[in-house]
Amino acid sequence: MGVLTRALRNVSRRKIRVLLVVIALGFSMAIMISIPASVVANQAATEKLSENYETMIENMQEEINKTLTLIECSLSPGFGQGFRPGSMPGEELFLNETAIYDISSIEGVKDVLPFLEKTEGTMQTRETPRGTFTILVPDYTIVGVPLNSSLIDNYPVLPTDIVEGINLREGDSGVVLLSLSNTKFFGAGVGDEVNILGRYFTVIGVYETADTLGLQKLYMNIFDAQAITNLEGKISRLDVYAEDQSYVDGIVSKITDLYPEFYITTYEERLSQLDRMKETYKSMLQNAESTLSQTQSVAFQEIVIAIAATSLIVLFTMLYTVRERTKEIGILKAIGFSNWNVMSQFMLEGILMCLMAGVVGVVIGSVGAPLLSSLLLPISPFPTQRGFLLGQAVNPGTFQSQLVTTAPDLQTMLMAFGVAVLLGALGSLYPAWRASRTSPMEALRHE
Amino acid sequence: MSELVLKTEKLDKVYKLGGRKVRALSDVNLEVKRGDFISIMGPSGSGKTTLLNMLGCLDRPTHGKVILDGVDVTEVPEKKLYEIRRHKVGFVFQTFNLMPYLNAIENVELPMEGTKKSKDERRKRAHELLNMVGLSGREEHRPNRLSAGEQQRVAIARALANNPAVVLADEPTGNLDEKTKYEIIRLLSRLNIDQGTTVVMVTHDSHMASQTGRILFLSDGILKKKEKSGLHLEEKLVCPRCGGSIQPDFVVCPHCREEL
Repeated sequence: MGVLTRALRNVSRRKIRVLLVVIALGFSMAIMISIPASVVANQAATEKLSENYETMIENMQEEINKTLTLIECSLSPGFGQGFRPGSMPGEELFLNETAIYDISSIEGVKDVLPFLEKTEGTMQTRETPRGTFTILVPDYTIVGVPLNSSLIDNYPVLPTDIVEGINLREGDSGVVLLSLSNTKFFGAGVGDEVNILGRYFTVIGVYETADTLGLQKLYMNIFDAQAITNLEGKISRLDVYAEDQSYVDGIVSKITDLYPEFYITTYEERLSQLDRMKETYKSMLQNAESTLSQTQSVAFQEIVIAIAATSLIVLFTMLYTVRERTKEIGILKAIGFSNWNVMSQFMLEGILMCLMAGVVGVVIGSVGAPLLSSLLLPISPFPTQRGFLLGQAVNPGTFQSQLVTTAPDLQTMLMAFGVAVLLGALGSLYPAWRASRTSPMEALRHE
Repeated sequence: MSELVLKTEKLDKVYKLGGRKVRALSDVNLEVKRGDFISIMGPSGSGKTTLLNMLGCLDRPTHGKVILDGVDVTEVPEKKLYEIRRHKVGFVFQTFNLMPYLNAIENVELPMEGTKKSKDERRKRAHELLNMVGLSGREEHRPNRLSAGEQQRVAIARALANNPAVVLADEPTGNLDEKTKYEIIRLLSRLNIDQGTTVVMVTHDSHMASQTGRILFLSDGILKKKEKSGLHLEEKLVCPRCGGSIQPDFVVCPHCREEL
């Protein structure tokens, strides 16, 4: 019988004690496993946030630079997203398409692009402490675009990232371009027919977008859109392009004279909106970084406490075991066991206990990592909106604080086993050394 | 003249108890030849177990020498003493001291761990020893499933595992009933006669001592009397406290009721 078998038998002799110790150690191990995994995940999320922030600002700057001559006109203010077609309306307001002709005749106007956007969804009643509210839960947004080759070829009218089928072309009617999100909602793909507000459309293509607000948009000819939404002669907004930048102020002034109710956004305003957004995101990023550093510091303290707790539990358990088995130590020495034989047996018992705890810790850590992390780490201001992480600008008000948690990977688990062995060895070192130094004669007298 | 296997020269042992010096052994000179079966008798506190601990390298004398199988063990460093205990000494205890979590054969194999014997050789030797002490078929039984006599037999087999130069038995029959006592003493005698095993036994029991070849008497740490044949003890024993007459196997003095 080898020392390992003997150690195993000894560990299994006091089942209840070992079970309690292993569970206690298991929780410490679980903390050691789940906390670093979460810290790494939060660090990665913050880095990604920072990278995405820079990419997003660059992209927005680029987009804005392309729209030096663009003047956006609508009846609703949007959410400060005037530079981008399709801001989410709080309330859908429509203007008469006759405005196209009025504005086209203004001096310096090169092109006028009409858009019709109409969100369809289900009305739901929500009970809140402040009362009962009925809200629209959107299913999809119909976007009617002018399918005129001189416009769609020169301006950002249609999505560009077509993943299946083809894009809309001049003169298309009775066809629709769906987003990936729409295909799931309708359960349809390219070539299928989908029923939109009672009329069947053939899916001509599918596009992908990183734009959170664009996820539910389906594109079709503006005339089809007007027909199915019963909004003949109506449009949501106009994109007015000037011949060059010098005409912009004059055009704005004339549009304001003609339509004082219009919300008008120009290059300058888009630029100042971008600056405001930069400030907002910068402060959010700083907040995220400061919380990350706080998380790291708390995690470090907790891991140190967990390591200390594990070592102390092993230390006291093994000290108690050595005291309890003093006579056995005396017998072993009397029959010829060396100090090293005795020491290695007790150390092995400590290590075995920690290995069992490692298994328990991995199980608890894998299943309960998110819960443990959220209980033990401070909350980080990471956005729940996926779009933000992908570089999409959304209203900062929609961000929610949450901790990015993750299940530990194989490497972390292997490391946990390594730590288990190390702590088992460390914690049982002194008791085992004490056992080995026990005088056999005194140990034999011990009762 | 037979070869000396164990010899002590002017052995002294002084303990400090609460600042007071207690002389447990005083000028003990002992010679044990190979194949001897010796019993050491004496009242409680006379130094019997202390002497046995010195002989078995479990404790060191304050002065004097212990020469075991030609090695002066008082000169052997503390760290190396385990080798002497492993190869030259076999212990048998009053309370058997078997490992409760090991079965009979595993208990016998235990002292062979760390020796050059292979696993198979250890197992074979343990089987032979259990057979020799009459426990064939009980190999897989743990101590709690063996009778007291059987446990002591396992302990004797364990003591013989590494072919020691001497078996030191501390009250080996002290925890046994009358019938079993004689079985164990007969087993030790048989091992002594058949195998030539050298045995030094500490006992209170004059009947057990009478079964051995030589009886030594220890009183107040002094080896007082040596007997060639221990069937009848000639020395009159007296209680160290009241001076009344006592028998060697008395545990309590019948006159003053003090523990001996």
